[in-house]
Amino acid sequence: MTDFDNDPKPIKTTANELNKDVIKNTVSRRSAIKSGLALMGGTAIAASTGKIANANTPDPLITEVQDWNRYLGDGVDARPYGMPSQFEKDAVRRDVAWLTADAKSSVNFTPLHKLEGVITPNGLCFERHHGGIAEINPTDHRLMINGLVDTPLVFTLEDLKRFPRENKVYFLECAANSGMEWRGAQLNGCQFTHGMVHNVMYTGVPLKYLLAEAGVKTAGKWVLPEGGDASHMTRSIPLEKCLDDCLVATHMNGEALRPEQGYPMRLVVPGWEGNMWVKWLRRIEIGDKPWHQREETSKYTDLLEDGLARRFTWVMDVKSVITNPSPQAPINHGKGHTVLSGLAWSGHGKVKRVDVSIDGGRNWKPARLDGPSWSRSVHRFYYDFNWDGSEMFLQSRAVDEFGHVQPTKDALRAERGVNSIYHNNSIQTWHIKPDGSAENVEVS
Amino acid sequence: MSKLKQPFGFAIFKAAPLLLLIFGSNALFANDVEKGEKLYRQCAGCHQVGPGASHAFGPQLNGVMERVAAKVEGYDFSSAFTDAMAPDVKWNASSLSAFLESPMTNIPGTKMAFPGVKSEDDRASIIAYLAAVDVDGKLATTAEAAISADESNTEKQPRVLAADVEIPTHGVFHLGRVALAEEVAAWDIDVRPDGEGLPKGSGDAVAGGIIYDAQCAACHGDFGEGTGRWPVLAGGLGTLTDERPEKTIGSYWPYLSTVYDYVRRAMPFGNARSLSDDDVYSVTAYLMYLNDLVDEDFELTSDNFVEFRLPNEENFITDNRSEEPYFSGAVEPCMTDCIPGVATVSQRARVLDVTPDQN
Repeated sequence: MTDFDNDPKPIKTTANELNKDVIKNTVSRRSAIKSGLALMGGTAIAASTGKIANANTPDPLITEVQDWNRYLGDGVDARPYGMPSQFEKDAVRRDVAWLTADAKSSVNFTPLHKLEGVITPNGLCFERHHGGIAEINPTDHRLMINGLVDTPLVFTLEDLKRFPRENKVYFLECAANSGMEWRGAQLNGCQFTHGMVHNVMYTGVPLKYLLAEAGVKTAGKWVLPEGGDASHMTRSIPLEKCLDDCLVATHMNGEALRPEQGYPMRLVVPGWEGNMWVKWLRRIEIGDKPWHQREETSKYTDLLEDGLARRFTWVMDVKSVITNPSPQAPINHGKGHTVLSGLAWSGHGKVKRVDVSIDGGRNWKPARLDGPSWSRSVHRFYYDFNWDGSEMFLQSRAVDEFGHVQPTKDALRAERGVNSIYHNNSIQTWHIKPDGSAENVEVS
Repeated sequence: MSKLKQPFGFAIFKAAPLLLLIFGSNALFANDVEKGEKLYRQCAGCHQVGPGASHAFGPQLNGVMERVAAKVEGYDFSSAFTDAMAPDVKWNASSLSAFLESPMTNIPGTKMAFPGVKSEDDRASIIAYLAAVDVDGKLATTAEAAISADESNTEKQPRVLAADVEIPTHGVFHLGRVALAEEVAAWDIDVRPDGEGLPKGSGDAVAGGIIYDAQCAACHGDFGEGTGRWPVLAGGLGTLTDERPEKTIGSYWPYLSTVYDYVRRAMPFGNARSLSDDDVYSVTAYLMYLNDLVDEDFELTSDNFVEFRLPNEENFITDNRSEEPYFSGAVEPCMTDCIPGVATVSQRARVLDVTPDQN
């Protein structure tokens, strides 16, 4: 229902209070050796206290036998469906209560700062519902194809599993991801600014097989997927996209879809805004024109500064964010060698390159892409460097295989104003302070 | 909204062992509790239930059948409600059922701006569910056990021989079955701007106003102005270039068909598909009236529907993001000395401090 168009008023600050020298990325070989020696000499900053620990005192965690070294743990049946360690309680989805009117039509956010690699664990994939989570017994679920087809059909989940299926990794990003940041820095943490994205391996049936089974008539140009939840979610999708790479997925990361992700089946629309990936998919209609449903008129249209609004803005543009360090994941180890890490993705295809700046966009260095590089999947990047302990303004800038460059916030605002809500793919800045803490800021 | 002057008199019963009184068998009881839990979701937006439930717009209802109705710690009832209830009276099945049929007519002035549950069976199910929730928000164990027993009671089917299965003739893989016309009709409810999909029927703004007041106004406001963060439906004309645009049906939405389609498929929130096609015509007509598009006596029909245009239709354009300069891909991004001077902070998240507490 409610979307993110009522963001609170930003308060402008005058800027110069934190104007300090930016550090240089290059650290001399000599100072690198020195800092290495310092560590070996036994000093390190304890994160919680900020005190210097003395490694000349033997560590009791090493010299004494601990409970878990001595006593037996749980047996195999204690955790029939394994959950994360009790020490990972912070790695959870979180919501921003003031954003929406009711939890049943709301959103929560993936804890990007707690994750590594490119795959989002199923329990941490952000949620966006418009009528709560439909709990559907798969034997009670039906998928209908109707409209401009030769034979309107009904499939069960068992029918679906008899079609040829594929495994593909795709990101899903809500069009409103980073939507709160149009008017300025608002939320402290990449979970909240960028956490409406997840990246999952789907097992599913190419939609083109289902359409062929029903036989699309030549007049058919548009497809309307519909959900079986209490919002009966609908979107108009051009037929070409459906014949290209859309899937009807039954599994995510190897297991059945989670209820909050559309169990028993959802639509996968690679590279396009998450709202179109209809969950609890129960019907696919073929027509000759778009339907102009609520979610493609009242919502998910991008209001520009001149009062015109773009519609059918489907593709999620090239984007990246530094996940560590970030406001929820400060640097706790003091100066010295560190690893900056982040995610990049593009709805157009593969990410070709990610550049990182530590001085607020003055100078850029290519980051190291690591892990698989799949089209319309999240890419992991790293930037390894020595931090000299002075403040930094961290930014990342992704470039995709077609040369699309992630824009600055100012560039995007110059084109669109600040009331678009959706499709904010601009460059994010984290201010790293001399104590290692981080804040969401904008720089000039 | 019609208002009855008649005061709402409750008979004072002792809240006896309700569960046993009302329900003969465990299975019947479980069905009612389970159904009641589903029906209750339309109430849950205002009334929390379950472990840790707290007061929201309405009081939390853990163990509601066991407590004094108009005196709940930490909740400020309307004076209308406290006046209507005897000081020590507790709810019982019949008094609660009578109240829930139409809260606003039974106790004019109650905060409970809810149209009521018209079906007596549905009310009984909701009350069975509430009666099964104890003061700690736990569902009574007998109820849980009965529900699970009910669920496990599935029949075992003999397996069919593979060779006996008939393969359909349609399609490529011959999978699925042909959808029946009645099935397509039941689900194919979408309506397009050109009127395709509109059901035959009609409704006027006056009738729509009555439905709206009872079923929509609690969230969307008496005049479509929206309560809390629920969507604003009316007004906002000419604000799209303002600093704070108000995007309503009248000011923003391009097509009237979207109103009909969406109300029919998703509203009222928590009770979707409960309005008749004519009701939806009425509500759509009333929303047109709230947006000053028609007069109060206006009737919207399947015949005149496509004549109406919303004011903002012409201001929607197709996606032209690719024309924005940084999309060209022609220029390699700058790598060194891209901006003169050192970076200075121009905006800080901490100033606003709207980040949720994470502890």
